[in-house]
Amino acid sequence: MAIPIRVKVNGQVEALEVAPDESLLSMLRERLDLTGAKEGCNEGECGACVVLLDGKAVNACLVLAAEADGHEVTTIEGLGRPGALHPLQKAFLAHQAVQCGFCTPGMIMTALSLLLENPAPTEEEVRTAISGNLCRCTGYRQILDAVQAAAQEMRAGAQGRRP
Amino acid sequence: MDKTPSVVGARVKRIDAEDKVAGRTLYPSDKTLPGMLWVEVVRAAHPHARIREIDVKPALEVPGVVRVLTHRDVPGENAFGIQIQDMPVLCFDRVRYLGDAVALVGAETRQAAREGARRVRVDYEVLEPITDPEAAMAPGAVALHPKGNIMHQGHFEKGDLAAGFACCAVIVENDYSVPMIDHAFLETEAGISYYDEHGRLTVDACGQYIYRDQTQIARALGLPLHQVRVMAPIVGGAFGGKDEVTVQIHLALMTFHTQRPCRMVATREESIVSHTKRHPVKMSYKTGADRQGNLLCVQARFVADTGAYASLGGPVLNVMMEHAAGPYRVPNVKVDGYAVYTNNGFSGAFRGFGCTQACVGLESQMDLMAAALRLDPLKFREQNVLHKGDLAGLGYPMTCEVGAGRTVRSAQRGALYRSRRRRAPAKPATPSLKPYLRRGVGVATQMQGLGLGIGIPDYAEVGLDLRPDGTLQLRAGTNEIGQGAYTAYLQILSGRLGVPLSRLSMVGADTALTPDSGTTTASRTIFAVGKAVELAAEKLERVLGERAERAFGWAPGPARLQGDQLAGSGGRRPLRELLGDEELSVQAVFHVPVAEREMGDGLPHRFYSFGTHVAEVEVNTLTGEIAVTAVEAHLDGGKVISRTGFEGQSEGGIAQGIGYALMEEVRLEGGRFLTTNFHTYVIPTSLDVPEDLRTVPVEVREPEGPYGAKGISETAMVGVTPAVLNAIADALGVRFFRLPVRAEDVLAALQEKKT
Ligand code: FES
Ligand code: FES
Repeated sequence: MAIPIRVKVNGQVEALEVAPDESLLSMLRERLDLTGAKEGCNEGECGACVVLLDGKAVNACLVLAAEADGHEVTTIEGLGRPGALHPLQKAFLAHQAVQCGFCTPGMIMTALSLLLENPAPTEEEVRTAISGNLCRCTGYRQILDAVQAAAQEMRAGAQGRRP
Repeated sequence: MDKTPSVVGARVKRIDAEDKVAGRTLYPSDKTLPGMLWVEVVRAAHPHARIREIDVKPALEVPGVVRVLTHRDVPGENAFGIQIQDMPVLCFDRVRYLGDAVALVGAETRQAAREGARRVRVDYEVLEPITDPEAAMAPGAVALHPKGNIMHQGHFEKGDLAAGFACCAVIVENDYSVPMIDHAFLETEAGISYYDEHGRLTVDACGQYIYRDQTQIARALGLPLHQVRVMAPIVGGAFGGKDEVTVQIHLALMTFHTQRPCRMVATREESIVSHTKRHPVKMSYKTGADRQGNLLCVQARFVADTGAYASLGGPVLNVMMEHAAGPYRVPNVKVDGYAVYTNNGFSGAFRGFGCTQACVGLESQMDLMAAALRLDPLKFREQNVLHKGDLAGLGYPMTCEVGAGRTVRSAQRGALYRSRRRRAPAKPATPSLKPYLRRGVGVATQMQGLGLGIGIPDYAEVGLDLRPDGTLQLRAGTNEIGQGAYTAYLQILSGRLGVPLSRLSMVGADTALTPDSGTTTASRTIFAVGKAVELAAEKLERVLGERAERAFGWAPGPARLQGDQLAGSGGRRPLRELLGDEELSVQAVFHVPVAEREMGDGLPHRFYSFGTHVAEVEVNTLTGEIAVTAVEAHLDGGKVISRTGFEGQSEGGIAQGIGYALMEEVRLEGGRFLTTNFHTYVIPTSLDVPEDLRTVPVEVREPEGPYGAKGISETAMVGVTPAVLNAIADALGVRFFRLPVRAEDVLAALQEKKT
């Protein structure tokens, strides 16, 4: 039994027929070829699959594709592209917050969700926000630095002045 | 030429990072092909059983299932393994651990493949699992392999232990136990397979050595090497856990039989159950020193549970024995080691490669001896560290540059160590708890063999292509598993040729395109491959000089690249005048020098990295919780090529070292895994790693390495765990001999201390 859904993904409306047990992650990766969100565990424990659902970070592996009907999804691909990166992506690049990079898209989307809600988080708040995103390569410090740098840049951008 | 250009040692952006932050990098688990089949593995239902019969018919009835393969479908040798091929591709008579593969199901969808895998009926005669290595070693134990359960053993003796102990003012004797650890790379084992345009059976999957994987695949499929192509440029983390074959042979086999592209992505549970682990080890250490603080004796015995199959268990045990006496001068040494087959998963390569375990025992002993002698722990280490020319633990001379002492002195000067007498935390996370918090500072010094050691061919070959416009492409066969080596290679190339990074590009890990650069393991890539890159750069300039001599009549001597121009004795000419529209390619190979005398099985190493870690902990005596609040890493990896990469590896090593000390443990019961997800197998999160991480490069240049560089990926991790253990002992006056140390262990120990 296929369920027809309409979902806005990175600004584009997609009309799809999804299976009742299909996850949002699987829909993005297998149907839409958006492989930026990663499959690290498929059970909500690693954060590699985090995307924004109506601006809030969710583990896409725990959300059913059908639940996204009528909603808006943003993935890492919708954030920026090489040459036109989002401040968070730039900061991850500049602060060497990327090693194998498998955790990176989920990390960035989680951080984005935090910064949308709280543009000036404390170090502790960033730590807590990304505590559901596992990284096995870094010691997280470079990631925390990157998020703070991006927050600053985004605040400056919001106030219309260059940092 | 010897002037270090700015790009070497600088903070440069990784060449792979822009695509990674944009979510554009395709990892093995992201790749798909039209018309591909999903492949699922039917794994053993019991940790130890005899297979009576395999019935695949029920699986074939599942809609969408295309093919089911069993041992009968393995055309070549049904065995693999890096060192000893004792592991079946698909089991035929017996299963020895829960990850053993019994059948493969290829289906149109992942769901159908899974359903098919569930339906394959295997009739087992269940056998008693062998789970205790000591029992497995005992005479009369049921043998898991034809030669018995002792997969490998080693015995080394130097000096006169009894006479040595007789001169000791302090003798410390303890047993230690370290658990099985999962690599927990974020990307599970995955990849695709297909026939490429030349009809080569191609496997594009995770891995750490494409050329060895190619051999292993070809052997199992009964194909000549040139008909198998393996690639694995970008991998989502490995740490040794993807060194042994995982999905590669299974993928190739399904494509071989169906002629269709195939895809596999392991679930997290399957990953934890099936791939190699860090060996759980039981160790006994007896060590002694004289009144002046001279370390006189180290006696160690290791029993490593190597699980069901060999993989690299033998070499891991060897490295453990090689490093049993650590970076110290010890006249009397006795080491006995055993790697024993059991039905507990299977163990192999993991960051540290045996050093990890030995270091936990030895560095605990060092602190205990220092305390008994009332010596400062770092002074005690400094007094005993190896210097160039000294005899190492097993008795061979250290011929490489030895920075051990300098890392100790660097740690002595560090702020953290100088603050060690402060008992109360300066800024407790929860001030109201202050009366219950104990602060402690601990240290550990370590050395780590670099590369594969003697007796195992260790070489790296690279290719370099110069285009007429003056841009260059480097080809190297190692993988980018997160360590940043590709960027470092290009930094070295840029430094040697004086060509900016923007004109350089990199092709990695494809047997069809890149030469054999060796394994992506053993902290070797920057050293061995980096050196080959240097040699290739020199060769290119030499060849350019020779061609310019012939073409333009320039005086003999190398020619330099300057943008799209060539500069030499005859002035400057456009490169295109020399090359036309052709590329100029050179290859260079570096054979890693080895020790003069072989002690067997890859021992010893010739090159080592060194490090001293200082860790600070805050222990809550009310709850037992331990927080690591600061770590300083003083690392001698020779010349640092990439400062950001160096710090990144160091900090990642610190996180893994904390995990090993305080939280991680793959638990098994009767050969069955109890920790098969990140909920039960807990690794450090952003809340467990301190903000205060400092990495201090102690750059003792190794002349054999590129720019004097050595690797640090393992040294960065190994010392952290014992430093944390020593910090806990410093905080509480209670020492732990078993990892991980959890809150409940602390409470129990404090309780015991009171009574
Ligand atoms: S894949 Fe969704 S949390 Fe791990
Ligand atoms: S960079 Fe590898 S898991 Fe985070």
